[in-house]
Amino acid sequence: MRSQVQAVPAIEAKGLVKSFDGKVAVSGIDLAVPEGAIYGILGPNGAGKTTTLRMLLGIIEPDSGRRTLLGHERPLEAAKIVGYLPEERGLYPAMTTREAIAFMGALRGLPLEVGRKRAAILLEQNGLGDYVDKPIKSLSKGMAQTIQLFGTIVHKPKLVVLDEPFSGLDAINQGRLESLIRDEAASGTTVIFSTHVIHHAERLCERIAIIAGGRIRFEGLVSEARERLQPQVRLKTRNADGAWRRALPDDARESGGHWQFELPPAGIEPLLKALIDGGAGIEELSIERSGLHDAFVAIAGESAARAMDESAQADLGEAA
Amino acid sequence: MMSTFEAAWVIARRDFVASVYSRSFILFLIVPLAFLAIIMAGGAVADRAANAAAHPRVALIADSATVEALQATRARLAQGTSDHVFPSLQAIDPAENVDAQADALLADESAAYSAVFSGTLDRPVISAPPNVDRRVVDPLTLIVNDARLQTALQAAHQPPAFVAAHRRITGQAAGNLRIVRNDLARSTQSLIFGITVILTTLLLSNMTEEKSNKVIEILAAAISLDSVFLGKLAAMLCISLVGLAVWGGMLGLGYLLVQVVQDWVTLPDVGPAIGWPSFVLLIVLYYATNYMLFGALFLGIGSQANSMREIQTLTMPINFMQFGVLLLAANSVGSDGGAMTWIARLFPLSSPLTMLGLAAQADAIWPHLLALAWQLAWIALFVRISSRMFRVTVLQSSNSGSFLGLNRLLLRRKVD
Repeated sequence: MRSQVQAVPAIEAKGLVKSFDGKVAVSGIDLAVPEGAIYGILGPNGAGKTTTLRMLLGIIEPDSGRRTLLGHERPLEAAKIVGYLPEERGLYPAMTTREAIAFMGALRGLPLEVGRKRAAILLEQNGLGDYVDKPIKSLSKGMAQTIQLFGTIVHKPKLVVLDEPFSGLDAINQGRLESLIRDEAASGTTVIFSTHVIHHAERLCERIAIIAGGRIRFEGLVSEARERLQPQVRLKTRNADGAWRRALPDDARESGGHWQFELPPAGIEPLLKALIDGGAGIEELSIERSGLHDAFVAIAGESAARAMDESAQADLGEAA
Repeated sequence: MMSTFEAAWVIARRDFVASVYSRSFILFLIVPLAFLAIIMAGGAVADRAANAAAHPRVALIADSATVEALQATRARLAQGTSDHVFPSLQAIDPAENVDAQADALLADESAAYSAVFSGTLDRPVISAPPNVDRRVVDPLTLIVNDARLQTALQAAHQPPAFVAAHRRITGQAAGNLRIVRNDLARSTQSLIFGITVILTTLLLSNMTEEKSNKVIEILAAAISLDSVFLGKLAAMLCISLVGLAVWGGMLGLGYLLVQVVQDWVTLPDVGPAIGWPSFVLLIVLYYATNYMLFGALFLGIGSQANSMREIQTLTMPINFMQFGVLLLAANSVGSDGGAMTWIARLFPLSSPLTMLGLAAQADAIWPHLLALAWQLAWIALFVRISSRMFRVTVLQSSNSGSFLGLNRLLLRRKVD
């Protein structure tokens, strides 16, 4: 992950609204994706992620609201410097891998000959050199997805938009994809992807948007999302009772000899002093920062989190 | 951003290469030729059978002089007109009871006579059922009377010699030219209509295939849908032109071979009013516009449908319209104007065929330039409407929507 993120937004959306047949799919989406960032859109299936990405790319028009893509209000004007991997993967089955990648580059204005050369290099670099002239229909699903991803980046775009890129991939290919996303970002490309798997976003992104029920519930740094929850203190003492118990907050819970409670606003030092002075006999004490999953639960709610987990489980099954 | 034509070129190139380098393209080239060969062979066999069945036979129960006179007269009359006009004559030895013999001959299915002549030239008797008067009895009566006349003249030693008229060669007769050009106009209209009907079916499945491959979203995110539609139309037009070049080349080669074998190489001496080079060029151009106009309609509909079944349902009205357009254009051939002719020239779907008919009949070139510009404008409009319809009903929809909402009933897709 890049540590420095520039302030100029690669994507900016304000108040995007879209309804289908009278049913609101997304309502009032506001986004700002900084240039050079890896940006994740998190949400369960049906939350409005794909609709949002399609509106950002101009595949569908919003009912209201505005968006700019690399400074262009008409997204197609930026098409030559944008790469897009849709959720529903599509390739021509009879095309060879090299031709498929070159064709996707040609759609973005890359000369076919250049596309073919770059395709061969990309395939070679990723250990798929033997498949250069193999037809797409002879590849596994994961490989075909990789080919499509190469087609998304072959023209060296400034912005890469990936809709559920990890969906249907096995663990090895997911790891490869994460590396590829990091490499792209390291070369200055802005990457925005949607996912219903929190740990991908947690590992890759510095900024995220949490979307549920067609609305943005959170938009900002991953650390800011985590900070929505106070860190948790886990404590184990030799003495079961004593004056030290008065130092614990009212909502402290005991389970299996361990106490767990939110870190008091005053910080750890006053708590530690009170425990020692009260004769707790501290055996273990740890401060645990909340993960993105906990933050997601707190922000989007239990039901959205459950839907996310179910989608992720379904993905695992599909990849298996 | 790539221009519409640049982007259309990318699509057209891919579709063209993918189609021409596929095995099914070989089939595409062979099947129409095979069909043509089968139709021609079948037609020849059917024609021969029809001729054999349609040529009536007459039994002649008469003395040898009468039989000879009748057969000689028939041969002479047939030479000046057509063999099909007169029944064939077959001599039969007379029996004792000629009427009974005639009835027996007419009843004999293996002999299959339509009539029986008996008696003499001065007292002829024709036995036949009442329903063959026009086809058999009347021509036979003509033969009998002519034979009688010839015999009488010979008996008087005054047979007139056959006079061959002095043949004065002139330029084309206007009446003949008009007939030939009308035939040329109608046959080229029918040819283009037939080829368009066959080849536009290629377009029908194209967009459905694109949707099933799920490539359409990649295309829609990168280039305008106008480019996608235009590129697909252009690719299919080029593919059809390759097909036409191959078919035309093979037929032309066959024609040339026949001519060389027969040792006469001639070009038709009656041509279209506009001249052969311009006419051939206009055939190509009007074929292209006709194909693009109907292709845009079919592509628009094909993009709405999710299956061949839906395509068949949705395109049926257009198939009817194609026939209507052919009739409208054919009706304008030979017409000197009038509201229907102008409607046929101006209505975009009938304009190419009608104007091609005009090219066969009139030599002015400027109406064709205007017509081609008019048709190109309509192609652009049809492409625009088709792509908008696709965006509104399919891409804009949460479901995989369709014209008339057919596939909304059949196929559901999630919102996200």
